[in-house]
Amino acid sequence: MDEVLVAAQGVKKVFRTGDIAVEALRGIDLEIGSGEFMAIVGPSGSGKTTLLNLIGALDVPTDGRIVLFDRDLGALSRSERAELRLRSLGFVFQAYNLVPVLTARENVEFVLELQGMESKKRRARAEETLAELGLGELADRRPSQMSGGQQQRVAVARAVASRPGLVLADEPTANLDSDNAQALLQMMRRLRDEMGMTFVFSTHDPLVVSYASRVVTLRDGEVQSDERKDTCG
Amino acid sequence: MSGNLSMQYALRSLGRSRRRTGMSVLGVGLGCAIALFATAFMRGGQTMRVQAISQSGYGHLRIAPAGWEQSRRDELRLQDSAAALEAARSLEGVAVVAPHVRVQGLLAFGTRVAGVQLLGVDPAAEPQLNRLVRTIDEGRYLQAGDEGAVVVGKALVERLDVELGDDLLLTLTRADGEMEYAMLRIVGIISTGSRTIDETICHATLADVEQLTGLQGVAEVSVAFADPQKVAALSAELAQRVQGDEVLTWREVLPAMSGDEAADRAFSNFFIIVVAAVVILGVTSAQLTAMLERRREFAVLMALGLGERKLVGLVLFEAVFMGVLGALLGLLLALPLVWHTATAGIDFSAAMGDDMTIMGVFFDPIIYADMGLWMLPYAFGLGLCATLLAALYPAWSATRLDPAAALSQRDA
Repeated sequence: MDEVLVAAQGVKKVFRTGDIAVEALRGIDLEIGSGEFMAIVGPSGSGKTTLLNLIGALDVPTDGRIVLFDRDLGALSRSERAELRLRSLGFVFQAYNLVPVLTARENVEFVLELQGMESKKRRARAEETLAELGLGELADRRPSQMSGGQQQRVAVARAVASRPGLVLADEPTANLDSDNAQALLQMMRRLRDEMGMTFVFSTHDPLVVSYASRVVTLRDGEVQSDERKDTCG
Repeated sequence: MSGNLSMQYALRSLGRSRRRTGMSVLGVGLGCAIALFATAFMRGGQTMRVQAISQSGYGHLRIAPAGWEQSRRDELRLQDSAAALEAARSLEGVAVVAPHVRVQGLLAFGTRVAGVQLLGVDPAAEPQLNRLVRTIDEGRYLQAGDEGAVVVGKALVERLDVELGDDLLLTLTRADGEMEYAMLRIVGIISTGSRTIDETICHATLADVEQLTGLQGVAEVSVAFADPQKVAALSAELAQRVQGDEVLTWREVLPAMSGDEAADRAFSNFFIIVVAAVVILGVTSAQLTAMLERRREFAVLMALGLGERKLVGLVLFEAVFMGVLGALLGLLLALPLVWHTATAGIDFSAAMGDDMTIMGVFFDPIIYADMGLWMLPYAFGLGLCATLLAALYPAWSATRLDPAAALSQRDA
């Protein structure tokens, strides 16, 4: 493993609703290295999304510690975690979650603008990223004018345009057919190979698993297995 | 948020639910229009009130002897009448300076008697200050050099059953406590249209009143300005020039009327606050609904790194845009109404009856609204304040959003 980007130690997460407490994660120990193409799998309710949210600094563990890019998430404020997400992370969601009132290019540009990138530069970067992902012709379309596969590719473009060190994808192929899912995974693996980005997926999809270089299986909030593969896809 | 993209996002977001945005803008617009009209009417009424007071013989300012405001004693005199008159006349922007003395007395004709306040005036200055004395019904107003002449109101004439040229017996108490008698010939009869005022008008020359009372000098100097807006600044300057005497505004001279004005203003402000509160609550409700509908989108943006401050900025920017639109709509709605009221006025003569006087001040029964450039900053200020206040809670709610929880509601 190269440089360690994420180190989770004894991570627990408990959700409370009134008097009911649900233990979503029960002490996860995990390290994710730079350049990994990792899938987190497991049945519904196993804690995949919860773990992804914790790694992505969207939530904080009830117990245990997560160090992301050498920063202890438990010691960061909400705004510091937002800044960390902005500078170092990319997100791809199951439901695409593009901003409906912005075009594909504007969706990609939006994150770059949040980073403070100058207007011309961010426009060029957005167009370059869309072109790299074969979406150049869709740049001026709004999400409602694109298919699900196209929207998810734009979502990937949005996630990678700022060249983050780590991209987290929550069920990215769940709403795609096999062809679109395969194209998306090939595209993300190419980005990993060409740009050195690290990808972590939570998924049920065997296709994603087949592309992953490492598969972590969760069950009942615990790591059941952690398998590294020599060949994939 | 910074940059054009954020602004475009905010603007386009408003277009997502055009009906809701339209209703919010309409609400702000109606609120602005009502507040604009109420304020224009109040300002117009206030301007006319000051004008009516000033033109009813009070002027905008009064130089009065020290202690007069507390005691209201007619026998007090200015320390240096000539210096006070000169100080007032040399002030920039002064339209007229009118000296006065007052004394209580009894007017008698035959067996008929009436108590009056005899006002000693400068015959040249008084008609310029006091529009009431321009309404001569019979005869003429006082002239310089008149001796033993008096101008009285028509109601007083009727009460005493006299006519032009008749001699009235005036009885008063001199400063030394002795009774003084004088015959005054009626040279003019004034008919203002107000019986209340016409019963009180009894003017003689300063010289006559000085001689009758045995008190030399002037009891008060009324000062009117060409531009009433400058009164506050000129008041301070005049006060510096008349050491030993006091410079009073109409509010200090007529505290009861000042109280009326404060009550009118308070009611108007209360009315505007109620309207603004209703608008703010309506817009808050609409904004909160919009925010809840976009809960997931905000969660995504927060996941992508949108900070709390930037999120608040985004919500407030949308509010600013709605505020500007609402203010423009408010101006559009209010302008015709204010213009009509500013030019045609609203006639209150039916409500006021035949008598247009309050506390000796003759009011014009038609009130004209004040239409002017003040309406622009007022409308935009009100529209922006209302929408920004309305957006504060939704913006705060947005920052409390837990992005992980909001995202997991559909992705789970």
